[in-house]
Amino acid sequence: MAIDLAATTAVPADRIVGRPGGRGRRPAARRRRTLIAYLFLAPFLALFVTFVIVPAVFGVWISLTNWSPFRDSQDFIGLKNYLDLFTAGSTTSADFWNSMRATGLFVVLSVPFLVVVPLFIAVLLNRKLRGATFFRTVFFAPYVLGVAIVGVIWSYVFDTQSGILNHLLGLFGLPSDTPWVVDTPWVWVSLVGVTVWWTAGLNTVIFLAGLKGINTDLYEAAALDGAGAARTFFSVTLPGLRPVMIFITTTTILASANMFGQSFLLTNGGPGNETRTAIMYIADQGLSQNNMAPASAMSYVLFAFLAIISVVNFRLQRERSEKAAS
Amino acid sequence: MTDTAVRPAPTQARPARRRSPRRAGDLTSYAVLGALALVVIFPLIWMLLTSVKTDADAVRNPYALPDPPSLEAYQTLLLSGQQPIFLWLWNSFAAATLQTVLILVTASMAAYALARLEFAGRNIVFGLIIATLLVPPVVFLIPNYLLVENFGWLDSILAITVPGAASAFGVFFLRQFFLGIPPEIEEAARIDGAGDFRIFFQVALPLARPALATLAVLSFLGNWNDFLWPVYVLLSPENMTLQPGLAMLQGAFRTHFGIVMAGAAIASIPVLILFAFAQRQIVDSVAGAAVKG
Amino acid sequence: MTTRLSRGLGLGVAAALAVSLSACGASDSSEGGVSGEDYDGPAVEVTFWHGWTGGAAPTIVPKLIDKFNAEHENITVKNVPQEWADINSKMPLAVKAGKGPDVAVLHGDDLATYAAQNLLQPADEIIEGLGYSEGDFPPDVFEMGDFRDAQYAVPWSVTPLGLFANKDVMKKADLTEVPTDRQGYLDALEKLKAAGVQGEWVDGYVFTGTFEFQSLLWQFGGDLYNDDVTEATFNSEAGVEALTWMTDLVDKGYSPKNVAQDGNIKALLAGDTAFNWNGVWQTTNTAFGDLDWAAAPVPQIGDEKAVWSSSTHWVFPANKGQSADETSAAATFVKWMNDNSAGWAETGELPAANTVREDPTILEKYPNLEPFMEQLDYAHYETVSPGINEANALITTAINEALTGKKTPQAALDDAKAKADAIIEQNQQKYGD
Repeated sequence: MAIDLAATTAVPADRIVGRPGGRGRRPAARRRRTLIAYLFLAPFLALFVTFVIVPAVFGVWISLTNWSPFRDSQDFIGLKNYLDLFTAGSTTSADFWNSMRATGLFVVLSVPFLVVVPLFIAVLLNRKLRGATFFRTVFFAPYVLGVAIVGVIWSYVFDTQSGILNHLLGLFGLPSDTPWVVDTPWVWVSLVGVTVWWTAGLNTVIFLAGLKGINTDLYEAAALDGAGAARTFFSVTLPGLRPVMIFITTTTILASANMFGQSFLLTNGGPGNETRTAIMYIADQGLSQNNMAPASAMSYVLFAFLAIISVVNFRLQRERSEKAAS
Repeated sequence: MTDTAVRPAPTQARPARRRSPRRAGDLTSYAVLGALALVVIFPLIWMLLTSVKTDADAVRNPYALPDPPSLEAYQTLLLSGQQPIFLWLWNSFAAATLQTVLILVTASMAAYALARLEFAGRNIVFGLIIATLLVPPVVFLIPNYLLVENFGWLDSILAITVPGAASAFGVFFLRQFFLGIPPEIEEAARIDGAGDFRIFFQVALPLARPALATLAVLSFLGNWNDFLWPVYVLLSPENMTLQPGLAMLQGAFRTHFGIVMAGAAIASIPVLILFAFAQRQIVDSVAGAAVKG
Repeated sequence: MTTRLSRGLGLGVAAALAVSLSACGASDSSEGGVSGEDYDGPAVEVTFWHGWTGGAAPTIVPKLIDKFNAEHENITVKNVPQEWADINSKMPLAVKAGKGPDVAVLHGDDLATYAAQNLLQPADEIIEGLGYSEGDFPPDVFEMGDFRDAQYAVPWSVTPLGLFANKDVMKKADLTEVPTDRQGYLDALEKLKAAGVQGEWVDGYVFTGTFEFQSLLWQFGGDLYNDDVTEATFNSEAGVEALTWMTDLVDKGYSPKNVAQDGNIKALLAGDTAFNWNGVWQTTNTAFGDLDWAAAPVPQIGDEKAVWSSSTHWVFPANKGQSADETSAAATFVKWMNDNSAGWAETGELPAANTVREDPTILEKYPNLEPFMEQLDYAHYETVSPGINEANALITTAINEALTGKKTPQAALDDAKAKADAIIEQNQQKYGD
C-alpha cells in the first residue's frame, strides 16, 4: 500500500474531514453526527471508563483512606498515606524510597545498554550482509518467549554453584564463584544483562527499520566529502534516527521503570531488598500484605516521577531535533 | 515492508554499492553477529540439555552433558498433572487472542471516530485517552483488582483480557493511520450515498489492514508477556497462563533443575516454532509500528 | 458479618457431626477411630489448597485424595497444590471474594492472621468430634490454632529442623561421628577446613538461614518476641550471639560468602560440604540417591536445647457464600485423612498426633525420622500473632545483611527490631486487639 505516512503528524486533525461547510451546519445534523461518533466510541469508552478512568479515580480515593478489604466501611484519613511516605520512621517510607532507588538504579543502568547495543547490532545488520534476516530473527526470539521462561532459564544459568556461566568462566581462568543473583553489585549486572538479552531484539528491529528510512543520498554525500565511518555515523545516521530514538528512549525508560518480572524471578528483590523495585513493593504491599491504601498512594507518587521524567525527556529530544533542523 | 534494499519515497532505485575495501569489515561484522547470536542461542540449548538429565544427574553434575540422557523430567511433569503446562500454553493463547480481538474492535472504531468524525467533545476525549498513556500500569493494579473481584471475574479468563482491552495506544496508533488516508476515497463513497458505518466497514477498515495486523501482533505479544497482573488474579493452576504458571513451577521444583528446564522447554518450543513461521510478519509489524507511529 | 456467618456455619457442621459421632476417645486407630456417619448430603466438590509441592508429597497426596474420592461417592476433593508463599499471598483475598478453598493446610504462624481477619471457620466442634485435645500432640502445637478463645485448626504434622551430614565428605577429615555440641561441632569444622572443605554453608534466606538463626537464638536463651507479642526481642544479646555464630562461620572460613538460595543443600548433595541444617522434609529428597548421608539432631551450640519447627494444620476457610455442605464434606475429608495418616511420614513430615507418630512401625519404615522425633521435646514453634510474618520477614533481611557483610549482627538486628516493632503496632491497628 503506497501510502506515505511520513507526513502524518504534520497534518492537523480537523483539516482532514473534507466536508464542505464544516462546522456551523444545522444543529440537528450536528447532533446526529455527534451521536454516530459516540456510537463508534461506545465500545471503547465502555471499557475505558470502567477499567481506566474509574480505577484511576478509585485509586486516588483508596489512597486517601485506611482501606482494608476485610472491613465493610473505610475511613477517610486525608493525605496521611502520602505524608507517611515522606516521613522518616513510618512503616512505609524507608522501604518505598529504597524500592524507588532500586527502580531508578535499574533505569539508569539498563537504558544505555538497551539503546546502544541494539543500535550497534542494527548498524551491523544494515550492511547488506547475507543472512541479516536470520540474525534479526534470532535476536528477536527471546522477546517472544516471555519473561517467565527467560527468568527461569537465566536463574539456572546464573546459579552460583550449578550455573553454567560460572563454570565456563572457570574454564577460562576467571573467578567461578560470582554470586550473580545473590549479592550486589552482581545482581545489577545480571538484571541488566537478562533484560538486554530478552528485549534488545525488539529495539534492534525498530532501529533497523529506522536506519532503512535514512536517505542514501546523504551517505553518498558524506562519502564524497571524505567522511570516515565514525563521522558518517554521527552526522548522517544519528540525526536520521532522531524520531526513532525519541520513541525508543521513551519506551525503554518506561519499560525499565516498570520492571517487575526479572527482579521477581531472578533475585526476588534480593539481597535483602536491594533489587526490590517500586512495582514489586507496591504490588506486594497492596495485594499480599493487604496494605492497599499506602500502596495506592505509592503508585501515584511513582506516576508523578515517571510523568516528570517523560515530559523532560520528550522536551529535551524535541529541542535537540528542532535545533538540528534549523 | 521487506528487508531488501528498497527505499521508501523520495529516493528511488539506486543500485546497491559494492564496497570491496569493506571485505574485512564484513568478516568482522559476521564474527560479531555470530558471537552475539551464540549468546542468544546458548542458554536455550543449555536448557534443552539439562532437561534431558535425570533428577540426580541434574543436581549433582550440573556442568556435564546428560549421563545418561533421560526423559524422566518430562515424564514427571507431564504425568504428574499438577503442572499442566500445555493447559497454560492454551490459556495464554486463548487470552491473548481474546484480548487482541477486543482491542482491534474497540480501538479501530474509536480511532476512526476520532480521526474522521467531527463531534462535540472530540478533543477532550482524545486528550483524555492520550493522557493515560503516561500512567504506569501499577496505578490501576489495586483498584482494578477490587473491581474484578466485585464482578466475580477472579480466576477467570475475563480478568486477564477485559481490563486491558481498552488500549489507549491502539487508539492513538490507528488514529494516526486513519488520518493519513487520503480523504478522496471516503469522499467518493459518501457521494455514492454511503453512511458513516458503511464507509468505516467497507472503505476505512480494509485500507487499515496493515496497521490492524501490526496492532494485533503488538497486542498479542503484550498479553502473552503479561506477568504481574495474572500472578495476582489467577488462582487455580488450571486457569493460569504460561507466565505465572512457570513461575509457580520454578518455585515448586526449585532445586530440581532437570524438571524446571523441562518445563521451560515444553513452554518455549511451541512458541519458538510458531515464531519461526510467523517471524516475518511479527518483526515487520513491530518495526512498522515504531517507525510510523 | 462474617463472624456471625462463620459461627453459624461452624454450628451447622457441629450439629451434623455431633448427631453422627458416638463417644469419642483418643483417636486410637486400633478401635477404628472416630466412628460415625460421613457427610451424607448431595454430591459436592471440595477444593483443597496446600503447599506440598516438594519431596514425595506430589505423588502421595494425589494418591490419598484419589483413594478418598473412590471411597466417597458424594464427595470429590480437588487437589490444588501451590507454593506456600503463593497461598499466603492469594488466599485472604480469594476467601473474601468467595473463590478460596473449602479446606486448606496452613502453617502455624499463619493461623492467627487468618483467624483475625475472619477468614476461618471455628473448628472447635470438629476437634471435639475427632476427640482431640492438647495432650494428643507435642507440647505447644495444639495451642497454635487458638485465637480469642476459639480453636480454628486441627494439627496435622510437625516439621523440625535437623542436621544433615554427608558422610563421604566427613571421611575426608577422618570424622566418623556427627557432632552434638558446640565444641564438637567447631572441632569438626576445623578439621574439615584443614582438609580443604567448607563444612557448613550458611545462607541468608528463610530456607534455611532463618530457621537456623531461630534455633540458635532459642539455644542461647533468647526469644523472637515478648510474651504478648507487642515487641520484638530478637536483637537481644542472645540474638546477637546467634547471628554472630552464623557470620563467624563465614569469617572463619567454614562457609563461603553469598551462598545462594538452596545453595547449601545442593552443596551437600554435590559433596562440597559436610553439614546442612535443614528440615525433616529433606529426608525424602530423591536427589540423595545413593549418597552416604545421615540425619541427626541439631548440635547444641548454646546453653539450652532448642530447635526450630514448623507445624501444619487443617483449616476451614470462611469463604463468602461458603456452602455448609462443602464445609461438612471437608470435615469428613479431614477426619478421613487423620485416620489414614500413618503413611504421611513418607512425605518427610512427622504426623502431629502422638499416637500416630509414636507407632513403632513408622520408625521401622523410615529410620531417618528418628533424630527429628527426638527433638520434639524441645522444639520451638512459630509465633502466633496476626500479621506476624510481615515482621518475621525483617529477621531474614537482617540475617541476609549480616551474612553479606553489609551490617554488623548487632546493627542488622537492631534495625530489624525497629521496623518489626512498627509493623507489630500497625498489625494491632489493622487486626484489632
